[in-house]
Parts: sequence; C-alpha cells; structure tokens
Amino acid sequence: MERPDSDFNRLVRTLQWVWLGAAILLVGGIISWIIHLIRTAWELGDVPSASIGVSLVAIPIFLVLVSVVLYVFWGLRSDGRER
Amino acid sequence: MADLGDAREDTLLAPIAQTGRGFYWAVALLSVPILWGVIAYSVQFYEGLGVTGLHQPVSWGFYVTNFVFFIGISHAGTLISAILRLSKAEWRRPITRMAEVITCMVLFIGAGQILVDLGRPDRLLNVILHGRYQSPLLWDATSISAYMTASLTYLYLPMIPDIAILRDRLGKRKLFYSVLALGWTGTERQQRVLNRAIAIMAVLVIPIAVSVHSVVSFVFSMTLQPMWHSTIFGPYFVVGAIFSGIAALIVSMIIFRKAYGLQHYLKPIHFRYLGQLLLVMALLWFYFTFAEYLTGYYGGEPEEMRVFWAKFTGPFWPFFWVMVLCNFVIPLICLVRLGRRTIGKVLTASLSIIVGMWLERFIIVVPTLSFPRLPFAEGIYWPTWVEWGETAGSFGLFALFYLLFTKFFPIISIWEIREGREVGLKEVEERLITYLPDEVEGKT
Repeated sequence: MERPDSDFNRLVRTLQWVWLGAAILLVGGIISWIIHLIRTAWELGDVPSASIGVSLVAIPIFLVLVSVVLYVFWGLRSDGRER
Repeated sequence: MADLGDAREDTLLAPIAQTGRGFYWAVALLSVPILWGVIAYSVQFYEGLGVTGLHQPVSWGFYVTNFVFFIGISHAGTLISAILRLSKAEWRRPITRMAEVITCMVLFIGAGQILVDLGRPDRLLNVILHGRYQSPLLWDATSISAYMTASLTYLYLPMIPDIAILRDRLGKRKLFYSVLALGWTGTERQQRVLNRAIAIMAVLVIPIAVSVHSVVSFVFSMTLQPMWHSTIFGPYFVVGAIFSGIAALIVSMIIFRKAYGLQHYLKPIHFRYLGQLLLVMALLWFYFTFAEYLTGYYGGEPEEMRVFWAKFTGPFWPFFWVMVLCNFVIPLICLVRLGRRTIGKVLTASLSIIVGMWLERFIIVVPTLSFPRLPFAEGIYWPTWVEWGETAGSFGLFALFYLLFTKFFPIISIWEIREGREVGLKEVEERLITYLPDEVEGKT
C-alpha cells in the first residue's frame, strides 16, 4: 500500500484538486454567462425582468449543485486523510 | 483498506476486467452508423443546410425531432432513479445506475442536435454573447445546462464507493480510479456524507427534470402556431418523456443482461414492475393525446383543423396512426397480462414505444410548420440522406458511449446491491412492521 506522502498520493491529490477546480469553473462559467445576459438586457432596456426572473431560479440551482460537490469533496477527503 | 469483496460481484466487474471479442464486434457495428453520421455532417458543414430537406416553411425537421426525443429519453434515468430512491423501492438497486447513465449520454446527444440544426456551429457563440432571455430557446439552454450538471453529479456520487472497489480490486487504471474515488474507504462518516448528498440530489433532480421537458414544450407552446399553442403541452411532454425513458431503460437492461450475463441481477420481477409502470404511462399518454386533440377538434378553428386533418387523414396519416399503434395498441396488448414470457413482452412493448415516441415528436414538430398560420407557402418535408445519416449516427453514438461506459464502470451498482443484502432486508422488515396495525393485547 502507498505511503500517505508518496509521489503517487501527491499526484492523486493534485488531480483531485484539478477535478474540483474544473467543476467550479464549469458552474462559475454558467453563472457568469447568466449574469452577462442580465447585464446586456439591462443596458439595452430589453425586458431585463425576464432575465432577472430566469436567473433568480437558475443561479441558486447551480450554487446548490456546486455546494453538494464541495460538501462531498471535503467530507470524503478529510475523513480519508484523518484515517 | 483494500476491498476484497465477494465472488458474486465478479460478474459485475468482468466487463471492466476483460474485453471479449463481442465488444470489438459491437464497436465495429456501431461505427457504421456513426461513420454515416460523420460523412453526413461533414457534407452539411461544407455545403450548408441546403443539402437537407429543411426549407421554408418547414425549417425544423429531423434535428429538432431528435432533440425533443433524446431530451425526453433522458428522463429515464434521473427521474425514475430519483423517484425509486426516495420512495425506498428496494427493487431499484440493480436498475438505477443504468438509468442514470442513459440520462447523461442522451443529454449530450440531444443538446448536440441543436448544434447540427444551426448549420453553422459558430453561430452558437451568438447565443452566448447576445442571447435574450425573453426567448424560450434560452430558457431551454439554461434548464438543459442545469439538468446536465445535476445528472452528472447524480450519476457520479453513487458511483464513488464502486470506483473505490475498482481502485482496490482491479489492478489497472489505478490513478484514474484513485482520483475519482476521493479517498473513499467506507467509514461511517463518509457513508453519512455520501448518503446525505445523494438524498439532496435525488430531491433536487426531480423538479429540474420536470422543468426541462416543460421548457422544451414551451419552445412550441409559447408560439401562436396551430396545434402548438396549448396549455397542456408542458405535462404532455413530461409524460411522453417519462414514457419513452422507461422504454429505453428496459431495452438497455435487456441488452446488457444478455451481453454481460446479468440474469441473476436483472430478474423477471424487475421487468414486471417496469412493465406495469410502462402500462400506466401508456394510458396516461393516451389520455393526454386524446385531451389535446379533442380540445383542438372541438374548437374547430380553421388553421388548427388544417393541421388536425393533415395528421388524421392528410399527408401525415401514416406517421400519426403508426404512432397510435406503437404507443398505445401494441403496449396495451403486450403489457395488460404479464404472465409467461414477461421479458419478451416488455421488450416488444418498449421497442414499439421508442419508435412511437419518435414519431410523436415528429408529428408535433413537422405538420404545424407545413401548414403555418401566416400566409407562407405550404410545404411538405422530406428528409434527405444527410438527416437520415445524422439520425443514425446519433443513435449509434449513444449506444457507443453507453458501451464504453460499461468498460470503465460497473453498470450495476455494486455497493447498493451489497447494502441491499446487508441492511436492506432488515430495513424492509422493520418498515413493514410499521405499516401494519399495532397488535392489541387481550383482544381478538
């Protein structure tokens, strides 16, 4: 079995962080896109209420999704490390 | 601690551990429609949408039909799996993973249809940069993004313990499985964290799934086109989606049962329960179809009636009546009495429903555009080999993705089966006792 500080484990940990970063980047990208659409609608006076209405539902959903991923990531990894 | 597991689980790990000749044959077979699809798309990419049968007024044809169909199929997984998980239906255990995989695969294929339909894929950038939220098309883009993210999360979380089993037992792709296992060792705390996260996702994914197909229907019903402008389109689409989703799930279960020898896991009882669910959905689908067409007919609005008769007796009659046959008559005959040959009957009904539901999507999209309300010229749509090729390629790609998934991850959840054996049996007994009336001492 690998030692906790072995090169292999360090690589695994790094890749797990990369994986988490990619998930955050994906959700962050989608939220930024939604905010961009609100801003464009606002600047053009092009029914911003529609954009705000949709984003009021969509953004919290994406935030909950990324929170669940973070919760699992932290919950599992911290317990594995303690052991 | 390394997971040594149980010899009974070897069947589930076998497709990942070894690759037989059948796998290569299947890949070769699937490459044919995929290659056809690639050639068709390349021709369309270089020549433009003129090589397809799309024209004015019928600017939506096979591609949009495929989009609605595949997004509908995606309800197989997440919705069915989430409902069964939340209702603690014990027979769900060997089914949920297959259902969740279907969802993720077809969502990508379905969303890809829009890219193909655009003709020039670079125009997608306009949606990202200059999209307008007044358009239901943008609601679609947002809800499908949410559904994709949620479905991938919902597929991944219950896979973590199985990935850890693969990390400990397989002896290959160790780095890949170690990264994805997130340090899972199966401690009580880890199980608590994971179960809580899965429960949150199961609750969250149901409204997202329902909203996705409602929003897909809004693309049609928010317009004033004849036979599209309907208030029941949302639930009608959702019912159709669950209906086709269950059918696709059954077909995939039967294929993998045969291919990977999963007879001990996927038993006739699973097909019986899914068959009963399918029968209920067939009746519900018929009810919605009847209500939709009766309301249009009773109103007798001239533009509506032109489309109505085009479907019933006009140029679209073969599609309409085959749809009724496939979605209602055949399933009813097959499923109303599931005695002997349950699996055969359920498979026949499911294949028939898959054809019928594709025709239903076609019957919704094309006839209305052929007879528009505005004074455009009327026109009948005939797909060319390009659309047929793209459609065949999409089905092939879905099957290939699914097959490749089974080479990396177990198609039946190993830990959920273990949990069923170790904890589920006791839990069911305890739950059953709570359902029954309390015994009163001294009374007869």
